Amino acid sequence: MARAHEAVSPSVVIAAAGLVVVVAVPLLFILLQAVFPHLGRGSLAAPFYALAGALGDPKLIGMTGNTLLLGVLVVALSALIAVPLAVARALFRVPGAVIWDVLFLIPFMIPPYIAVLGWIMTLQPRGYLEQVAGFNLAPFLFSISGIVFVMTLNTFPVVYFAVSRTVETVGSRYADVGRVFGASPARAFWRITLPLSTPGLAASLLLVFAMAIEEYGTPAALGGRAGFDVLVTAIDLRVSDWPIDLPGAAILSLVLVILSFAAFLMQRWILTRRSYEATTGKPQDSAKRELGVWKIPVLALFAAVAVAATGLPLLAILATAMSRTISGGLAWSNLGLSNFEAILGDSTGALKALGTSLSLGVAAALVTGILGALSAYAVVKSKVRGRGVLDVLTILPNALPGIVVAVGLILAWNQPWLPVTPYNTSLILLLAYCCILLPQPVRYATAAFHQIGDNLEAAARVFGATPLVAFRRILLPLIAPSLLAAMLLVFAVATRELVASVVVAPVGVSTISTYIWRQFEQGSVGLGMAMAFLTILITTALPLIVLSLMGRRGNLL
Amino acid sequence: MLKTMFRAGVAAAALLTAGSALADVTVYTAGPASLIEKLAAGFTAETGVKVEFFQATTGKVMARIEAEASNPVVDVLISASWDTATDFAERGWLVPYASANAATVPDFLKTDTAVAQGVAALAIAWNPASGTPRPAEWADLAKPDYKDLVNLPDPAQSGSAFELVSALSADGMGLFESLAVNDAIVAGANAEALNPVLQGAKAAVFGAVDYISLNGKAKGESIEVIFPESGTVIAPRPVMILNWSKNQDEAKQFVDYILSDAGQAIVAGENLMPARTDVTADRPLIADLKILPVDTAAVYGKRAETLEAFSKVFAK
Repeated sequence: MARAHEAVSPSVVIAAAGLVVVVAVPLLFILLQAVFPHLGRGSLAAPFYALAGALGDPKLIGMTGNTLLLGVLVVALSALIAVPLAVARALFRVPGAVIWDVLFLIPFMIPPYIAVLGWIMTLQPRGYLEQVAGFNLAPFLFSISGIVFVMTLNTFPVVYFAVSRTVETVGSRYADVGRVFGASPARAFWRITLPLSTPGLAASLLLVFAMAIEEYGTPAALGGRAGFDVLVTAIDLRVSDWPIDLPGAAILSLVLVILSFAAFLMQRWILTRRSYEATTGKPQDSAKRELGVWKIPVLALFAAVAVAATGLPLLAILATAMSRTISGGLAWSNLGLSNFEAILGDSTGALKALGTSLSLGVAAALVTGILGALSAYAVVKSKVRGRGVLDVLTILPNALPGIVVAVGLILAWNQPWLPVTPYNTSLILLLAYCCILLPQPVRYATAAFHQIGDNLEAAARVFGATPLVAFRRILLPLIAPSLLAAMLLVFAVATRELVASVVVAPVGVSTISTYIWRQFEQGSVGLGMAMAFLTILITTALPLIVLSLMGRRGNLL
Repeated sequence: MLKTMFRAGVAAAALLTAGSALADVTVYTAGPASLIEKLAAGFTAETGVKVEFFQATTGKVMARIEAEASNPVVDVLISASWDTATDFAERGWLVPYASANAATVPDFLKTDTAVAQGVAALAIAWNPASGTPRPAEWADLAKPDYKDLVNLPDPAQSGSAFELVSALSADGMGLFESLAVNDAIVAGANAEALNPVLQGAKAAVFGAVDYISLNGKAKGESIEVIFPESGTVIAPRPVMILNWSKNQDEAKQFVDYILSDAGQAIVAGENLMPARTDVTADRPLIADLKILPVDTAAVYGKRAETLEAFSKVFAK
């Protein structure tokens, strides 16, 4: 190809530079910390000293097995719930489609540590369920099934939105061709539509796997009682328990990274076996079919998932936020708005924390969106050498526990010889969020690029467009729906990220999550839940408003 | 579109970097947040010296200090575990300072390099609405009345819970074995252990940090704080000045303020016991409690063994 002889495209250079700052630097310092135990004190003494201790932990194999099991189960259950919903949504005219989309967006906006607390307060003995219905489900909740259930309800939207969008792009057009040649509708779906949607499905399942093995809140809250220890809980213990064992935490994180990397290799193997190009520039017929007799069962399925994933957690959060005391339970005399008044009256610094987190969320979405699109382009569409390295850099942070990213960032950016540093400014939070969340836009954009034929860009170049213009005018608009959806997820997660924020927040700066967490620590659960409820409202409404202002709600959600 | 996104990014970055200059005194502290907020505000009002603080659990504060060690920024550290003061003094990280206001702080709450800000004690936190009889002693919670109804904070995650386990297991793990047989469970850090008791899923916390429960009671929660007559352990909260601090005069002023009448009144207002014996509080004070002897050097010396034995007892 002619392109191989051209100068490296500027978009590739920007992507590489961005990835170095956002991912490679903290990762390098985590690696150094794993090798040199006294790195924090600026010493390179005793290399590899901590390795034997951390890897020789007799519990390591069991915890790694549990971590894998949890990841696989959450992926399987997420796919089981999300794929049928997504296919129905993409190919058929589901009544109230946009409303279902919003309802499935909300679980992603509920911070996992809030969701799990909501479930505990609902299902434990004398919880809300028992107060309303007279029975409790504590044995189910405090078990592996309970952990998988709660985590799946939090992660399945990733699969739902990715798959419904890819299936929609693939459209019914290719399946129609199959039908013309005599395939039954089912056969056309299984042999044509679903295989062509593999990029979106594989990418989203990979994200879910990485999220599941990296998630701290749910296994910590539910797993302890079930005797179900995972790597993340062990890592957190090493970082929170004096004497602090940073090298041990770094080494265990690398085990997590290896797990996630293996999953990534599997996903890439699936994607490179064949071509998934479905966007060729030819006009697409996006007419959807009628559900017919399946209308009621499909609607029932949508409703059941919405109630479990969105309705119940939101009700639990609201009930707790409106309770004057937890011990008062669900009684009219115990309900009031005092917690909301405290937040809106800003007597507790809540509004400032909201402002900080929302601006950080927007900034993180923009940075990861641009960097994600450029990186995905460099990996999928350019022929530049070393693009495999870029691809690997974009996936590694996915499995890094937030707390380890935070430690890596401190080690990297608190070096005394640095003339200027983002450390101890809010920029360090932005760097942390970008590092943790970059995989989302990259995975979505990569999947979208895989579906775009090379001819489109080539055509633009033939007509005299520079590489940047071709990228901006042809490719970016084509991947925009996927990319914007991913940026929306970044915004949601960044505004509520807890684990890294707690450690890396600059002095005197509160974020939404650290605010909520402090309320919990002090026993003000209601105040924390009120803040969580307002946050969920804002982080759901804000993207929806932006999208509808841009006039593309229909094809985005 | 790319250009607009880029411009927005630059604008957001500019916004975020603004106004983050370091303060005159930087304090890292374990909770509660409202305590450090009030102390910082009071100190600034009195002296004009600005205080910025970072508040988290003792563990997270330590992780941050450890990671920052090559270029540290913290001036004053307030931990929730006296163990920190001992350890940091051994490392030579602390500045010796005897505040004039510390005269009435008893000797066991101060060293050359650390002084208590306030003191918490461990207690039984019991929900009177749980339908169980009022427990009076630690051993009561191993009775059939409380089967499956008791939470213990995790001694691996809470320094004070560890000291209680050490003190009560001096003659063996017998009490904890009978608790385990009675289906008591180990439930995370302090706040996590208390929540199920408030809602009624459990009846009592074995070894709750007292001030959190007392604050809950003040807000109208159905919770009672019971100090067993057989004795309990206390968790003094050491205040330390770090030797790398470039603001040592201001740091010393801040320590003076914490131990002043006004500062100790703020501590008492959070339902902690003031470190100074001449300041009163609306709650049981150290003199009212029987304190179990804990030989810190000895119990922390065999911390790993104790935790191992404890987790074996509660392993299912």
